[in-house]
Amino acid sequence: MSALQTGQPRDVLSAPASPDYRRARRAESRTGYAFLAPWLIGFFVLTAGPMLASLYLAFTDYNLFRAPEWIGLENFRQLFDDPRYLQSVKVTLVYVLVGTPIKLAAALAVALLLNNALRGQGFYRSAFYAPSLIGASVSIAIVWKAMFSDGGVVDLGLTNLGFPSEGWVGDPGKTMPMMILLATWQFGAPMVIFLAGLKQVPRELYEAAAVDGAGSMRRFWSITVPMLSPVIFFNLLLETINAFQVFASAYIISGGQGGPAGSTLFYTLYLYIRGFSDFRMGYASAMAWALALVIGLITLVMFRTSNAWVHYSGESK
Amino acid sequence: MKNRHLLTVAAALCASTLGLAACGGGSGETAADGPVSLDYTWWGSQDRADRMTKAIAAFEASHPDIDINPNFSDFEGYWQKRATEAAGGGLPDVMQFDLSYLRQYAERGALLDIAELGDAVDTSTIEETLLPSGQIDGATYGVPISTNALGHFYNPAILEQAGVAAPTGDMTWDEYDAWIREVTEKSPEGVFGSGDYTSTFWLFDMYLRQQGKQAVTEDGEIGFTKAELKEWWESPADLRQDGSLISAERTTQLDPKSPFGANETASEFSWDNFLAGYLTDTGAEKLEIVAPPTDTGDRGLFLKASMLYAIGANTENPEAAAEFVDFMVNDPEVGAIFGTSRGIPASETQREGATFEGADAQIVAYEESIADELGESPAPLPIGFGTLESNFKRLASDVNYGRYTVDEAVDQWFAEAESALQQ
Repeated sequence: MSALQTGQPRDVLSAPASPDYRRARRAESRTGYAFLAPWLIGFFVLTAGPMLASLYLAFTDYNLFRAPEWIGLENFRQLFDDPRYLQSVKVTLVYVLVGTPIKLAAALAVALLLNNALRGQGFYRSAFYAPSLIGASVSIAIVWKAMFSDGGVVDLGLTNLGFPSEGWVGDPGKTMPMMILLATWQFGAPMVIFLAGLKQVPRELYEAAAVDGAGSMRRFWSITVPMLSPVIFFNLLLETINAFQVFASAYIISGGQGGPAGSTLFYTLYLYIRGFSDFRMGYASAMAWALALVIGLITLVMFRTSNAWVHYSGESK
Repeated sequence: MKNRHLLTVAAALCASTLGLAACGGGSGETAADGPVSLDYTWWGSQDRADRMTKAIAAFEASHPDIDINPNFSDFEGYWQKRATEAAGGGLPDVMQFDLSYLRQYAERGALLDIAELGDAVDTSTIEETLLPSGQIDGATYGVPISTNALGHFYNPAILEQAGVAAPTGDMTWDEYDAWIREVTEKSPEGVFGSGDYTSTFWLFDMYLRQQGKQAVTEDGEIGFTKAELKEWWESPADLRQDGSLISAERTTQLDPKSPFGANETASEFSWDNFLAGYLTDTGAEKLEIVAPPTDTGDRGLFLKASMLYAIGANTENPEAAAEFVDFMVNDPEVGAIFGTSRGIPASETQREGATFEGADAQIVAYEESIADELGESPAPLPIGFGTLESNFKRLASDVNYGRYTVDEAVDQWFAEAESALQQ
């Protein structure tokens, strides 16, 4: 309805605007805002407001009981003296740096398999997607914990295969692999996006490459990966941000304590402990903003470096 | 015209959501003439909730003008909810309280001084040494519901299998350590004499009391030095090294059962009201309690108020709230309903009202056996104590996992204690 869309100069549209027309337009925008209202109210009341409040609290010693007192950058300074904070950063970074590539590789591998025309394709696609539907739930974390506990399915299976294990849950060296496996198993969302991306790769490219004698590996690396790079970039970005924020599964599997020996003390879990068990809301707010800044920075770096490796096919270089 | 229609629908939707939000805010009002309604909340298991329902029914039957509006959750979640309510100024009228949190809420002015209500809550039935547990600077913020004492539990069936004599209440710590080693050696693989008992803060407090000190002083300060904590955490170092204690890995694995509850250790220190829970967990016919070891002859034992009742300062019906607290603390029928599931009732009338059988009788007998040797009950604990207590357990476990040396763990505990107590 605007000048941009119709391609006409602005005054041509506005000149003949009768009062009737203007009223209709106002009514229309009112309708628009009315429809947006639930989201707008939600955003300002439940997201933007609390975010601003937490930005303020990050510079105070607020503990839920006393009125907040301004302490400047003290909370941020304390972060770097806090061994548990540093531990939580370490745990989270390992999870993000190791877990995310594994998850994306699994998603891409399954997407490639499902991209072939085969009987019952719809069924397989649904089946592989299913874990993602239920994945973030508390119940799955409980089941996961039971499976990897002493006497659980995984534990018994490994013991029967000749790898005696005493359960993964109590061993600080095994809880991280367990958490990464849980994340990997929920590859459904990136997989669906990869599948959609694969459908967009022109068949002619493969045919031409086959005529030139390229093998399947060569075709994968020289055609699939570059053509898929925008989708890979999108998935990488999304999954990295998600991985930084993992909480529910870590909370359940460690009983809310980040144990054993701090091996599942994820960033958000420690933030929660600080805020809601120790009541140090100022400190927790500072942690939240430090995380938001880091995620923002990583996103920025990823966008900036993406020109070097992400190939948009419509684009002329 | 279609647009206008849609607009109306959207507006109606908005209005109804706003209406819902408004409704959600204003439930606290009471009609002047109708029955008074009290919000009452506690933490605990389903078993406690069932007993509570019976107790509330008894109260409502004898007080038709007061309506109780009950609500309960687990311990962790309980304090998270109370903290947010306190910040918003909307605490329930009557609350079950813990010694660790009383000071925090009282000093903020969130709790009512029950003494101001005169004799509405009769506390003459409660042991005088116990009353200070609910008092801060002369004001009464908490009324003790029940008490418990530390005890040394052992499992006779495991000892019989190992062919080792039962522990007595007159052992020294060295004798106890030797006993643990013997049980572990003579038991089948996977059964141990004990777990690492140094991870419980209250047991450390008992150990300090045996030497005439206290972990937390009356002014709410830390009452021990780094060297003393180091000595405590290092005391079972030999047992850790030669595998006489159940491993940290296994202990985590068994959670939420304790190693003793899972029949994998022969003994464990805990509060005596854990007996019922231990019997359920182990499935054992009988478990025994004796007094914990001591090197000095002083047992260092004390009665701790296992929970208290508190009234929110913002309550609109302080008299009704006091009536309810008085009933719950003193009524013999309520005493009979709860037995010793919350510890031994603090009020004389409730103790007399209940007939104790089985496990209950065993706990009563244990507390009678140590009654002459009890020290002072702990005063309300310093603000931030909950954090200190959980750090104590976590760091002791980290030592067992080999993540920290004892020295590092001690330093960390004191560093965190400093920042927690500053709050």
